Amino acid sequence: MRKLSFLQQALRQLGLSVIGLFVFLPIWGLLRMAFDGSLKGRATEFHLLPKQFSLDPLLTVLDRPYQSVQFSVILGNSLVVSLGAAMLALVLGVSLAYAFARFRFPGRQGGLFLILLTALLPPIAFTTPLYILFSWMGIRTTLLALVLVYAAFAMPFCIWNMRAAFQSIPKETEEAAYLDGAGDLTTFVFITLPLALPSIAVAALIAFLMAYSEFVIGWLFVSQPDTVTLAMAIYAIVTTGTAQPWSQLGSLAILMSIPVVVIFLLLQRTLLERMTFGSAGD
Amino acid sequence: MIKKLLLLFAALLVVALAWNLRAFAVQTLPIDYDEDDYMRAAQEYAAVIRSGDLRGLSDYNYRPEHPPFPKILYGLAIAGDPEVPLIPDRPTTASPAQFLPRPHLTHARSLGAVLGTLTVALVALLNPLAGLFLGIHTWTIKYTAQVMLEALPALTSLLAVVAYQKSKGAARLRPYWLALSAIFLGLTAASKYMYCLVGIAILVDWYWLSFPKEDRDSVRANKVSEAISSPWKRLLRRYAPRKDMLLWGILSILVFFAANPYLWPDLINRLSESVFYHAGYASGAAEVASANFPLWQPFAWLGMSVPWSQDAFRVFLDPFITLLAAFGLARLWKKERVYVLWLATAILFLLAWPTKWPQYILVLTVPLSLAAAQGVKSLLERIRDSLSELIQHIRASASHPVTKSAHPLPSADSLRRAAPWLIPGLLAFLALTIFPLLFQFGVSMTTLNAQSLRDGLQGGILRELSGGLTGQIPAAGQDASPNQVHYVGLHGYGWVFDYISTIGLPVFTILWTALSILLQVALGLGAALLLWNRRVALRKTWQLLFILPWAIPEAIGALMWLNIFAPLSGWLSLAVKEFGAQAVPFSFLVGWERNPNQTLFILLVASLWYGFPFIMLAASAGLKMLPAEAFDAAAIDGANAWQTFRLVTLPLLMPLLVPAIIIRAIFAFNQFYLFQMFVQFFGGQEYIPVTLSTFSYYLLYRGSEFGVSAILNIINILMLVGLVLLFNRWSKAGEGVTYA
Repeated sequence: MRKLSFLQQALRQLGLSVIGLFVFLPIWGLLRMAFDGSLKGRATEFHLLPKQFSLDPLLTVLDRPYQSVQFSVILGNSLVVSLGAAMLALVLGVSLAYAFARFRFPGRQGGLFLILLTALLPPIAFTTPLYILFSWMGIRTTLLALVLVYAAFAMPFCIWNMRAAFQSIPKETEEAAYLDGAGDLTTFVFITLPLALPSIAVAALIAFLMAYSEFVIGWLFVSQPDTVTLAMAIYAIVTTGTAQPWSQLGSLAILMSIPVVVIFLLLQRTLLERMTFGSAGD
Repeated sequence: MIKKLLLLFAALLVVALAWNLRAFAVQTLPIDYDEDDYMRAAQEYAAVIRSGDLRGLSDYNYRPEHPPFPKILYGLAIAGDPEVPLIPDRPTTASPAQFLPRPHLTHARSLGAVLGTLTVALVALLNPLAGLFLGIHTWTIKYTAQVMLEALPALTSLLAVVAYQKSKGAARLRPYWLALSAIFLGLTAASKYMYCLVGIAILVDWYWLSFPKEDRDSVRANKVSEAISSPWKRLLRRYAPRKDMLLWGILSILVFFAANPYLWPDLINRLSESVFYHAGYASGAAEVASANFPLWQPFAWLGMSVPWSQDAFRVFLDPFITLLAAFGLARLWKKERVYVLWLATAILFLLAWPTKWPQYILVLTVPLSLAAAQGVKSLLERIRDSLSELIQHIRASASHPVTKSAHPLPSADSLRRAAPWLIPGLLAFLALTIFPLLFQFGVSMTTLNAQSLRDGLQGGILRELSGGLTGQIPAAGQDASPNQVHYVGLHGYGWVFDYISTIGLPVFTILWTALSILLQVALGLGAALLLWNRRVALRKTWQLLFILPWAIPEAIGALMWLNIFAPLSGWLSLAVKEFGAQAVPFSFLVGWERNPNQTLFILLVASLWYGFPFIMLAASAGLKMLPAEAFDAAAIDGANAWQTFRLVTLPLLMPLLVPAIIIRAIFAFNQFYLFQMFVQFFGGQEYIPVTLSTFSYYLLYRGSEFGVSAILNIINILMLVGLVLLFNRWSKAGEGVTYA
C-alpha cells in the first residue's frame, strides 16, 4: 500500500469526518431524545444535549411500553412471533432448498427464478392477500397470523439461502455416505444438515431479525394491546402522536435496535453475502 | 423499390389515421385555457387582413409574450368567416371561456390539426412507425387540435432539423439545405421561443461533426501538451463558431424578424418585453405557484395519456410510447444523433424551467416518437435473439439426449428421487407464498373493499371469481350494489393504471429508484475508496460507524430522520425557531412538506443514509479482490490518481459491484418504511411523491380498498420482474457460473 502524506491523510480524515457527521447526526438525535426527561409529547425546543438527562423514559418503557401491558408480555410476543416465523420458514423451506440444491427435475430453472422473485417482493405484495385470507379464517388478529405473515415474508429468502448452503457442501461427502449404503434421508440428516447448519443458522437469524424489527405491516394484524410486539409499540407512539412523551419512543427504538445492531456488526461479512443473494464480492 | 413503395403506403395510412384523430378532436375537445386569447389575437389579425392594408399587422400582437407568427396564421384561417365582436380581454388566470364564436373556432383549430398532420406526415416519411406513435400520442393530438401555439413551431422545428440532416449528405446543395434549416429555425423562433431548443441540438451535433474522431480522443490523451500551449488559445480555436454556423445563425435571426411584424416599429422594447415576460411568469405567476408542480412533472406528463375530456381520443398509449423511447435511445443515437440531442436538450430545459404546463412536452414528442420506433426495433431484435438462442438450445439438447451430468449422483430417476424432497417443501411454499399471490390476482379482478368485505368473506369472492372466470357473471357496471363484491375482470387494471399515472406514481417510483441508487453508489464508493488504504488513521472506527445505518432497522432509521425533519417538532424547524433562518444551515428546507421537490430531497437524504453502507461494504469487499499488478502497471505508466480510478479501478470493480447495486435498486423500488413514516406530513401536495408499495399500503390501511391494493401489487410485481431478470443476468455474469 502506498504511504499517505500528511496532507493526504488530513484530507481523507476531513472527508471521513463529513460522512461521519452525516451518519452520526440522526443517531445522536434519537439518543438525545431518548434520555431527555423534560419532554411531555413531541420536542418543542432545540437542544443538542438532553435538556434534563434522565433514565426515566427508559425505565418506563422497560416496565410498561404500550398502554398498560407489561414489558415482559410484549417482549414475549416479539420472541414468539420472530422465533415462530423463523422456525416455520426454515422447517417448511428446508426440503425444497435441498431439492433445488441437489436434484435435477423439469421446471427447476423456472422454480429458482420464482423463489428469487418472491424473495425480492415488497412485503405489501403479500400483505393484502394474507389480510383478506386471515380475516376469512377468523385468525387475523391472533399471534398465529403474525407468525404466518412474517414466515411468508421470510420463506423465499430462507429457501434461497439454504440452497446456497447445501450447494457449498462438497458432493463427494454425500457420495461417500451414499456408497456406504445410506439413503437420501439418512445422508441428509447425518451428513449434509450438520455441515450446512452454520449457514442455515444465519438464514434463520435474518428471518428472525426481519420479523423482530418489522412493525408497520404487522400493525394491520393487531387489535388488542396484549398482542403487540416490541417494535409495534414504537409505531403505536408514532401514530398516537403526543399521547406519550417522545423520549419513550426514542428509548424503545434504541432498546429494540441494540440486539439487531450488535448482530449486524458481529456478522457483517456473512450478512452482506446473504443479502446480495450470494453475489457479493467475496 | 417495392420496399420504398410499401413504406410510402404505410406513411399514407399513418397520415390518414393522424388526420382522422385530429379532426375528431377538433370537433370534440372542450374549450381550454388560452384558446380565447389566441382567438382574440387571430380576430385582430383577421380584421387587418380583411382591410387589405397589411401594414396593420405590426400594430397588433395580443399576448405579446408570444411571437405573432402562428396568431397571424390563425387570423388567415378565420379571415373568411363573418365578423363578430372581439372576444373579451381576460387575465391568464381566468378559467376557460364558456363560449367562442363558431365556425371561427373550428377553422382555427382545423389549421392546427393540418399543421399537426403535416408534422406526422414528415415523421412518417422518416419512419412510418414513429409517425404512427406521433399520430396517436394524445398530448400531441390535443395541443395541435386546439387554438394553441404548439402546432406551428412543432412542425417548423422538425423541418429545421430535417433540412440540417439533409445538408450532411449533400455536397453541392449543402448551403441551400443549411439555409432552409436556418429559415425554419427563424420561423420557429417567430412562433414560440421554447422550440428554438432544436437550434442548440443542431449546433451541438454540428460541433461534434466538425472534430474528426482522432481529434476527440486526443483531447483526452494529450491533456498535458495542450495545457502547455496556452489553453485559452486552443479552446478558442476549437470552439470558435465557424463561418457556416455564423451565417446559419444570422440568417435564422433575420427570418425571425421578418416573420415578426410586431417587432418592426420598436425592436428593442418590444423584444425585451416579450422575452423577459417569461422569466417573470415562471417565478411570479399565481397559477404557476398554485399548480405546485414538482421538478419532474414533465416526466409525469410523459408517463400518462391526457387525463381530461378523454372522449376526444381513441387510443391511450402515451406511457408505452415513452417506455419504448427509453429502450430506443441508444439505437437512435447510433443512427441519428441529433434527435437524441434534441430530446436531451428539451428534457433538461423542461426539468429546469419552473413553469411546467403539459403543452410544453410537444417540444419533444417528435424525437420521442422516433426513439420509440427504434425501441420497437431493438425489442424485436432482442426477442428474435433470445428465440434463436432457445431454438439452438433445444436442438443441442435434442441431439445429445443425455443431459450434461454436472451432477455426480445417478440422474436417470432423479425426479423420483427429488419428489419426496420437493413435495412437502413445494406444498408449504405454495401455501404460504404462491397461493396468496394467486389469490391476490383473483381479488384484483373484483371490487372488494371495506363495504363489501362482509359479503366477500361470506363466500362472495369465490362466487364472483368462479362465476366471472367461467363467463357466467358479466363484468359489473357502475350501478352494481356497493354492499356486494362484484367481478370486474381486468377492467380495474386499466382504471388503476390511468389513475396512478395521472398522479405520477410509476414515474416517481422509477425516478426515485434511479436517483436514490445513484447517490448511494456515489457515497458508498467514495467512502470505500477513502477507507481503502490501510494507513488511514482510525480506519476500523470509521468503518464501524459507517455500517451503523445498515444495521439499524429501516423504520427506526426513518424515525431518526423524522426527528430531524418533522415540521414543528423536528430539529431543523426547532433550530430555525431558536436561532433564525440565517444562522441554521439547510434552513431553506423548513416547509418542505408543501414543496414536492424538497420532499424528494429530504427523502433522498434519508435513503442515502440508510443505503450507502451496503454499497460501501460491497465495494470494500470488491476492492480487496482487485489485482495489485494492474495498479503497479498504471503507476509505471504515470497515470494520476483520477486516471487510475477511471481507467483501472472502476472498470475492474464494476462487475463485482453491479449485483449489489441492483439489489439496492430493488430495495429502493420497494422502499416503504421511509415513506410511511414521512407521509403523515405531506400536507396539500397534489402530486404525492410515494412509491407504488407505499400507496398500496395506504389503500389497504386507510381505505380498505382491497381490490385496488391488489391491482397495485400485481403491477408492482410485474415491474419488479424486469429488475430481478436484470439482477439474475448480472449476478451470473459476475460469477461466471449459472445458479445450477
